[in-house]
Amino acid sequence: MTEKTAGPIDSYMEKIENLGDEEIQTIIKALRSKLGVSEASFVNSCVRCGLCADSCHYYQASPQLENTPAYKLNLVLSIFKRYFTFMGQAAPRWTGARNLDQAMVKEWIDVLFGRCTGCGRCTINCTSGINIPAMIRAARGALAAAGLVPPELQATVLMAVESGNNMGIPTDEWIDTLEWIQDELRGETKDPEATIPVDQKGKKILYTVNPREPKFFPLSLLAAAKVFHAAKESWTFSSQYYDVTNYGLYSGDNSHAAVISGRLAKAMEELSAEILVLGECGHGYNSNRWSAPNWLQKEFPFPVVSVIELVADYISRGRITLDPSLNPKPVTLHDPCNLVRLGGVIEDQRYILKKSVADFVEMTPNRQKNYCCGGGGGQLAMSRFARRRIEAGRIKAEQIRRTGAEIVVAPCHNCIDQLSELNKEYKLNVEAKTVVEMVGDALVFPAKQ
Amino acid sequence: MLVLFSALYAIAALVFLWKKTCAFGKAEDLSTPRGSGLSGIIYAFGKGMLPWEKESVVKHLPTYIGGIVYHSALLTALLFIFWDMFLLPTTSLVLTALKILWLAGATAGFAMALKRILSPTMRRLSCPDDFFANIFADVFLVLAILSGSNPEWRTALYVCSILLFIYIPLGKIRHCFFFFTTRIIFGKFFGRRGVFPVPRREVKR
Repeated sequence: MTEKTAGPIDSYMEKIENLGDEEIQTIIKALRSKLGVSEASFVNSCVRCGLCADSCHYYQASPQLENTPAYKLNLVLSIFKRYFTFMGQAAPRWTGARNLDQAMVKEWIDVLFGRCTGCGRCTINCTSGINIPAMIRAARGALAAAGLVPPELQATVLMAVESGNNMGIPTDEWIDTLEWIQDELRGETKDPEATIPVDQKGKKILYTVNPREPKFFPLSLLAAAKVFHAAKESWTFSSQYYDVTNYGLYSGDNSHAAVISGRLAKAMEELSAEILVLGECGHGYNSNRWSAPNWLQKEFPFPVVSVIELVADYISRGRITLDPSLNPKPVTLHDPCNLVRLGGVIEDQRYILKKSVADFVEMTPNRQKNYCCGGGGGQLAMSRFARRRIEAGRIKAEQIRRTGAEIVVAPCHNCIDQLSELNKEYKLNVEAKTVVEMVGDALVFPAKQ
Repeated sequence: MLVLFSALYAIAALVFLWKKTCAFGKAEDLSTPRGSGLSGIIYAFGKGMLPWEKESVVKHLPTYIGGIVYHSALLTALLFIFWDMFLLPTTSLVLTALKILWLAGATAGFAMALKRILSPTMRRLSCPDDFFANIFADVFLVLAILSGSNPEWRTALYVCSILLFIYIPLGKIRHCFFFFTTRIIFGKFFGRRGVFPVPRREVKR
């Protein structure tokens, strides 16, 4: 079923092999609890026309039945019909209803976790507009209820739940990194008073980042700090809760997702900040902007915006000055699915790049119709599906190559990771950078009086 | 009269199905909207249905056109039964136009059935209901054409339409109703998030 097992003794595989009726019942019960009127409507809408197939990057890269969105959807629908509809119970074969058994659970794991990034491209290409990723996420959540999330993905979720960030960065390491970045900031801005504020109460903005930034891409943090400094922004980090990511979106486990996003809401309250600003992370944006209020069952009393929206606002208000000639290489833009197609932040990143680079070229298709890079849906965390992920990313690699760009910009650190891997695999010879990094490179600091 | 009763049964059964669907519970979306759900719904039934709005349609234009013709033919044939049943007046020109539409619809329907049978991917994706519903609707259209040319076929058409109405809520043809609910859900979801309708290319600043 899988390409590679997670370890020498894969207890996960053992668990699947020994699935009992109790786990099966748990999955069915959990699935029922995750379905609402929307999902129940979708069950009656799919006509299996197959027109969605070409929209999926998995299918385009490898045209096999298991990669068609309709097939993935119908894996879930067949169970829904069998247990929750009259016709599915009365005439299962006729309606395509199937029993949930061990073989089906295996297929669910392989297909729903291993062949979908939840990018939503199928939804906008579906004749009816069925939200296929929502159905797949519900099924993932049902598997999560039975403890059947692939362990690599689950480990990422649990790390965030237990340590406060998905990479398990200890607080002192985070603070050390920020102090080091602060020194760099002072050097770059030639301002000895430039600071990276931490846990400062009453600031306008609480800024959150992907923990990959302090761990592997500290210059990305520096770029954001430079932009805030140039804009004379009132901002702060939290020493505890700064992780914008939420892998609960991918595992389908709403309770874990609520714990993770709830901490950002708590930090907002504790620090009395006005605006929660989400760093460059596609799924972090989708989670915290759109899903978190529903997971937490409360409306947020503060606005939640992407740093992209904030920086676009700085530029338009003249709060920062940019010199595009400082970024002379041809640049293209990748649209992270969770930020653009599922998030609605569509034009701001373009506005920013047009102001901060000399040569910006769009890839085709773009915006809502963009292709997923292949790194979403928790794929980057699930090493067992790595080969598929890279193969599915070929569509994006070809898009990038066609632009002739030397730099591919993505306002998402997960996308950056996947694009960097695609760069190596498909020999694209490009550099992957975030939007804020490009802005940081184009910043012009007025001479201090 | 039986045709009318079967049609009323189909409507009642679809309403019942919708009630059952609603029983799954509607969760209120507590996130702050960026756009308008209503604008999204208008988009979903307007511009969003245009062929160039969807890559899947651009790539499969004949299937899209076939689908439009097929469904238009089915709708008009069903409506015509009642029109005819209540002896409402019609002109030969209208009847000829309808027969052409039904013929085109039946051809498209059979082509779709053939595609489902011949394409290995489509075949594996399909359940018996998919084949049956398609062919059943095609037969109905053929009977509508024959009945339009020769009144002797009218009884056969009525019997077929009774069976069709009975089957609508039981099989996949129920999508004739749920297509609209799903499209509303689609429009509302993307409308709230400001994804559709497609915003202006340049941000006004």
